Amino acid sequence: MSPVGIGRSLRVGLTLAGAGVLGFTAMLLWPAPESAPRLAGLPAPPTPALHVPSPRPLERDPHLSMWSVVRHAATARSAPGRGTRVARLGTRTPEGTDNIVFVQRRARDARGRVWVEARLPVLPNGTTGWLPRERLGGYRTVRTHLLINLRRSTATLTRVGRRVFRAPVGVGLPQWPTPRGRFYIRNKLVRYRSGFYGPLAFGTSARSAVLTDWPDGGFVGVHGTDRPDLIPGQVSHGCIRMGNRDIVRLGRLMPVGTPVTIR
Amino acid sequence: MGELSFDRLDTDGALAEAAERAGVVSRGTFLAGALGGTAALLALASEPAAAQGSRDVSILNYALTLEYLQAAFYTEAERMRALRGRASKAAVVVGGVERAHVRAFKDVLGSKAMKSPSFDFQGTTEDQNAFLKTAVAFEDLAVEAYKGQAPRLQAKSALAAALSIHSVEARHAAWMRYLFGVEPATHAFDQPRSKPQVTRVVQSTNFITSSPSTERKRMPRYTG
Repeated sequence: MSPVGIGRSLRVGLTLAGAGVLGFTAMLLWPAPESAPRLAGLPAPPTPALHVPSPRPLERDPHLSMWSVVRHAATARSAPGRGTRVARLGTRTPEGTDNIVFVQRRARDARGRVWVEARLPVLPNGTTGWLPRERLGGYRTVRTHLLINLRRSTATLTRVGRRVFRAPVGVGLPQWPTPRGRFYIRNKLVRYRSGFYGPLAFGTSARSAVLTDWPDGGFVGVHGTDRPDLIPGQVSHGCIRMGNRDIVRLGRLMPVGTPVTIR
Repeated sequence: MGELSFDRLDTDGALAEAAERAGVVSRGTFLAGALGGTAALLALASEPAAAQGSRDVSILNYALTLEYLQAAFYTEAERMRALRGRASKAAVVVGGVERAHVRAFKDVLGSKAMKSPSFDFQGTTEDQNAFLKTAVAFEDLAVEAYKGQAPRLQAKSALAAALSIHSVEARHAAWMRYLFGVEPATHAFDQPRSKPQVTRVVQSTNFITSSPSTERKRMPRYTG
C-alpha cells in the first residue's frame, strides 16, 4: 500500500473509532428507549464469603530442616554420580518403621540427575552420603531441634529457635559413651510394656561405637526409665534416659525428623 | 513449540485428557497406566460435610484440598531453589497467592476445614521444565475445577468468593502457559471439570501420598 493509501486508511479508522466511543458515551448518558434492556439499577455484587488475605512471601527460616523417606532401597555415594559407595539403605528400620534420612543439600551430576546429600544412620557416626533423588519420597519439614549436653546431662528442645522443653537426662557411662555429633530422630515407639524403657522411646540415627553387636545395630534411643533416681548423670549404655513425665511431654512436642545435636 | 509431556506424572492419561481439552497437547503424547489410591483423595471425593447438610462447605473443602496441593507445590519449589529466571519469580508470587487462598478457606471453614494431605512431588519442584509442565497442569485443573463447582454453590456469597479466586487461577494458568511457551488462550469457551474427573487427574499424578509410617507399637531394642 502506498503512503497515501496508508494515511487514508488511518484517517478512516480513527474516524470510525471516534464514532464508536461517542456512541458508547451517548448510550451511557442518554436514557434508553422503553424497549431496550435497562442497564441502570443492577444490584450491587454480593460480598464474598471469604476474605483472601494479602499474599505473604515465604520467609527464609534458619530453623527449617528437611527429611525424607527412603522410598526405594538405595546406595549412598561419596559424591553425586560416580562417587564411591558409602552405605546401602533399605526402606525399613529394624523397628519396622519407614527408614528416613536427614536432607542436607542437593546437587546434580554431570548427566543432570538430582542427588541429595543426607545424614545416614550408619557407622561411623556422622557419615553422610549422596542418594539419587528418585529413591526418596517427598520432602517433609520440621522446625524443632534437640540438643543433648553430655557435660550438663540436659536435653533441650527448641522450636523455631525458642526453648520449649528442658529436662535432666542420664547419658552413657564412660565405657559405653553416648556418641557426640549431629544426628536426627528416626522413629517413635509407643504402647509397649517395659519399665526399663519407660512409656515412650524415640530412635535416633546415632549408634554406639562400642556396642556394635547390640541387637538391631546398637542404635541410641531417647526414652523413659524405671530408675529416675539415677538421673542426671552417666548411667546408660549410651541411650539418653529421662523421667517418664519428661519423655511423655517430649513425645508431644518433638516430631520425627527433628535434628539432634549431642555435644 | 514442543508438546507438553506428562509422561512421568500422568500414568493413566487423565492429565493428558485435561491438557488435550485445554488445547495444549495431543492425546498421543501420553502413556496409559494404573491408578493408585490414597486416603486423602478418597476423602476429597466423599464430601464429608454434605452429611451435615451443607453442600457449600463440602465444595469449599474440595477447593481447599486443591489449594493445599498448589500451595505445597510452589512452596517446595521456592525452597528447593532449583528454578531460574522468570519461573523462579512466578513460583514465589504464585506460591504466596496459593498460601493466601489456603488461609482464607481455613478461616471460613474453621473446624470443618480438612487437614492437608502429605505430598511427594517426585522431583518436579527441582527441575525447571518439570516444574513448568506441572504448574500448567495444576493451574488449568484448578480453573476447570472452580468452573465445575461454581454453579453448584447455593450461597451467593460463596459463589462470589469462588469467582474471585477462579479468575486469579485463570491468570496463573495463563502466566504458567506463557512461561512454558504454550498459548495462554486458544478456545472461546472453557469447559468445566467435575469433582470425580478432577480427583482422577490428581490421583493419577501420585503427588498425594500417605504419611510416612514413623511410629509403631513395639518394644524398643535401643542400647538402653
